[in-house]
Amino acid sequence: MTTLLEARHATRIFDGGYFDRTSTLALDDFSLAIDGDRPSIIAVVGESGSGKTTLARLLLGLTSPTQGQILYKGQELQTMSRAVWRAFRRDVQVIFQDPYGVYNPFYRIDHVLTTPIAKFGLAASRAEARASIDGVLRAVGLRPEETLGRFAHQLSGGQRQRIMVARALLLRPRVILADEPVSMVDASLRATILASLRTMNRDLGISIVYITHDLATAYQISDTIVVLYRGSVVEIGDVELVVKRPQHPYTQLLLSSIPLASPERTWMTEKPSTPVAATETIDHGCKFAGRCPSVAASCRESAPSLFQTDRDRAVACYLYRDAPTVTGDHRQPGRSR
Amino acid sequence: MGYLRRNLSLVVGIALLSALGLFVIIGHLVVDTSKSRPLSAPAVQAPSLAHPFGTDRQGRDLFATMVAGTPLTLRIGFIAGMLGVGIGAILGFASAYYRGRLDAVVRGVVDIGLTVPGLLVLILIAVSLRRGLTVNQMAIIVASLAWLNPARTIRAQVLSLRERGYVEVARLSGMSGSEIIVKELMPNLLPYLAATLVNSVSSAILASIGLEVLGLGPIDSPTLGMTLYWVNFNAALINGWWWWWTAPITIILVVFLGLFFLTVGLDEIANPRLRRVI
Amino acid sequence: MRELTVSYDTPLGAVRAADRISFGLRAGERLGFAGESGSGKSTVALAILRMIQPPGRIEGGEVRLDGVDLLSLADEDMRRVRLARIALIPQGSMNALNPVLRIGDQIIDALRDHEIRMSARERDARVRELLESVGLRSEVAEMFPHELSGGMKQRACIAIAISLRPRVIIADEPTSALDVVVQKQVMETLARVQKDLGASVILVGHDMGLMAQFVDRLGIMYAGRLIEASPVRAILTRSLHPYTRMLIASLPSLEQKGTFNGIPGLIPLLRDLPPGCAFHPRCPDAVDRCRTERPGLREVRPDSWAACHLV
Repeated sequence: MTTLLEARHATRIFDGGYFDRTSTLALDDFSLAIDGDRPSIIAVVGESGSGKTTLARLLLGLTSPTQGQILYKGQELQTMSRAVWRAFRRDVQVIFQDPYGVYNPFYRIDHVLTTPIAKFGLAASRAEARASIDGVLRAVGLRPEETLGRFAHQLSGGQRQRIMVARALLLRPRVILADEPVSMVDASLRATILASLRTMNRDLGISIVYITHDLATAYQISDTIVVLYRGSVVEIGDVELVVKRPQHPYTQLLLSSIPLASPERTWMTEKPSTPVAATETIDHGCKFAGRCPSVAASCRESAPSLFQTDRDRAVACYLYRDAPTVTGDHRQPGRSR
Repeated sequence: MGYLRRNLSLVVGIALLSALGLFVIIGHLVVDTSKSRPLSAPAVQAPSLAHPFGTDRQGRDLFATMVAGTPLTLRIGFIAGMLGVGIGAILGFASAYYRGRLDAVVRGVVDIGLTVPGLLVLILIAVSLRRGLTVNQMAIIVASLAWLNPARTIRAQVLSLRERGYVEVARLSGMSGSEIIVKELMPNLLPYLAATLVNSVSSAILASIGLEVLGLGPIDSPTLGMTLYWVNFNAALINGWWWWWTAPITIILVVFLGLFFLTVGLDEIANPRLRRVI
Repeated sequence: MRELTVSYDTPLGAVRAADRISFGLRAGERLGFAGESGSGKSTVALAILRMIQPPGRIEGGEVRLDGVDLLSLADEDMRRVRLARIALIPQGSMNALNPVLRIGDQIIDALRDHEIRMSARERDARVRELLESVGLRSEVAEMFPHELSGGMKQRACIAIAISLRPRVIIADEPTSALDVVVQKQVMETLARVQKDLGASVILVGHDMGLMAQFVDRLGIMYAGRLIEASPVRAILTRSLHPYTRMLIASLPSLEQKGTFNGIPGLIPLLRDLPPGCAFHPRCPDAVDRCRTERPGLREVRPDSWAACHLV
């Protein structure tokens, strides 16, 4: 087995300023391995403040972990040679959330497509470069003659985001991190972008890390799902298991909070919900203890480790303490080998 | 053209500076600039047909002096302003983009440098150098402090730009730090850099005139500041030789007003929020 | 029973952001307006309150509240109608709270602005009562906005909106910046205060799931036009307009995995609308008539209206 990209006990802490002693734990002891041979779609789901964007930046090498390691083909990102770093840059690509800010207002949109070609030497001639740009634009359902030569503000959000997908495709990467790729795109165009992500996975063998706050799209697209709560994994495993029979109280709360477009499901409850504490600082114990309906004394003493409740799922909750603890660096059930 | 009609400051600024340019060019055609040397004309003459701006006590024709001196003063301003913005931009871009130790050093030097009165430092430098400065040496002395302000303001601009999505995309597209600075950040700051340059030029001119009036300038060049030094030296104000100081002060006024309107106009381009809604 | 009928044209420059929209709002009803960006849903909400900013203007039509035409009211009378009769919870309103005023003072400001006279003690009691009705503890009155979480701020905004017991509450994307768990709590709060007041709610948004779970009737907007208006259950199960059908089919489900059914093509630009039905270039069922003649909104089934030649 070759592990292409791996987070090993990665922790990222943001310090306050010089006069601010408080520091924020953005990501806490996170481990994830992306297999190079079997392309998969892993969804990382979390609300704001769950650490999902920090995770994306760590995996992209845009920031480094405070503790733990990020590994590319077994080598730590910080100590890689220049040549390996170049290979990493090509292999691991990204689609960002905001399909407007990623375009430099000074240039036409062609700039984001021609730059990687020039920098990675992807084409021998101008004609070859143009041919591969046309190819990737068509692959995401855009007509090159209608998109090239324009400025970002002349295109719709959906078109802009598809150009970013095309840009990622151009580099023929092996992993694409998609950080909320559809949250700023209109509903009717969302499906098109998700479909092109799935096509990339199935037909081109690209692994996708789909980072989102939206469980419904995560369910539709992914094989494996990771649920984050304030920097920690609370539930991880096969997407059918996690979505259909959630085990962690937080996953259950999250799923019951989604308003579904089916009139049979009743969403709102009449009784007033208990107000959420605005800020609760927990130094030890389960981070969800303050909001958990089934909280016990042990939850406040120490944080639960991941318990393997199914062959393809693990949950970080003491309700399942009878199940065996997940050990080792590869905390990724589901991909049984 | 439609835009120029709305950006009136830019038009006024360009018009004033062009008028000055025309004055110098036409002046060079109609008058012999060697008359700006002492003893080339009768001393202390009020304006007349032969000497439209009058003459001074050393026998310089003031019209010729203005024609020869205005470009010299502007040259000091431009050299010093360019050097200042150039050095300031390199330091500002590099320290804001790379952060770390470089940023700490640049920020520290700039913060300290800006609290020290500039003219005092310039006087010390000019005094410690030997007499007989050339115009270019004068420009370099002024430039030695002119980079501080551009470095600080450009750094602040870059700090806000470097968090943009397109900078990260460029990094992921394999661009190096220096390429990102030149190709991604710089183009978006061009109007701002232009405004900073004009600003710097006008402060450099002000600083050079200040030094020259104190007698610390290029003593044998007929710059506007040196002319004011001679005005002062010969007590022209008390002696009622009004034409001697009228000409240089009018030109200095036109220079500063022109540069001021140009900055305001460029600012409006650099900062669209100032753009008036019509 | 009150009938609120709106019909107007609003040009933004020469563009119609909302084109001849008519609907009635019943007492105690929850009505939704759903659509994608640029569909004109927020324009409708703002126009009811006559809060369209230049260069936009209300071109025509009428908005009647209890028989009074709001569009013909004097500005001063209209100001009194806002908040007192029709309250708005604007988009991102939680960031519109004044950061240097305590929450309680901001509620009192709203009361005072509408010349409600009461003693200090009455006022404090009213503030407490309002905060409790939106599920906030009364201590919140003494707090500043930055001390509250997003959900709590949004509830405080609801408290301000209902402070004068309005007949109609207009909520424009009230939860767009909130996490789903908090969104649910805020919507439950809104539902509860609405019931207590017996007010009607107009909810504007793009989230079909939220609409499905909250409103009684739903209007679908496309390119500034109201293309379908039906009870929400009918829209979800037996929608009439092809756009509505495709929009619902494109929603990701949590029940079963499926294929992604996006709507091909692009949202048309308002300044460059296709002739006939604005949706015809993207419509799989379009016939020649759709390209030339614009369909009007008509009642296809009892209480179900659609603007499509094919139904």
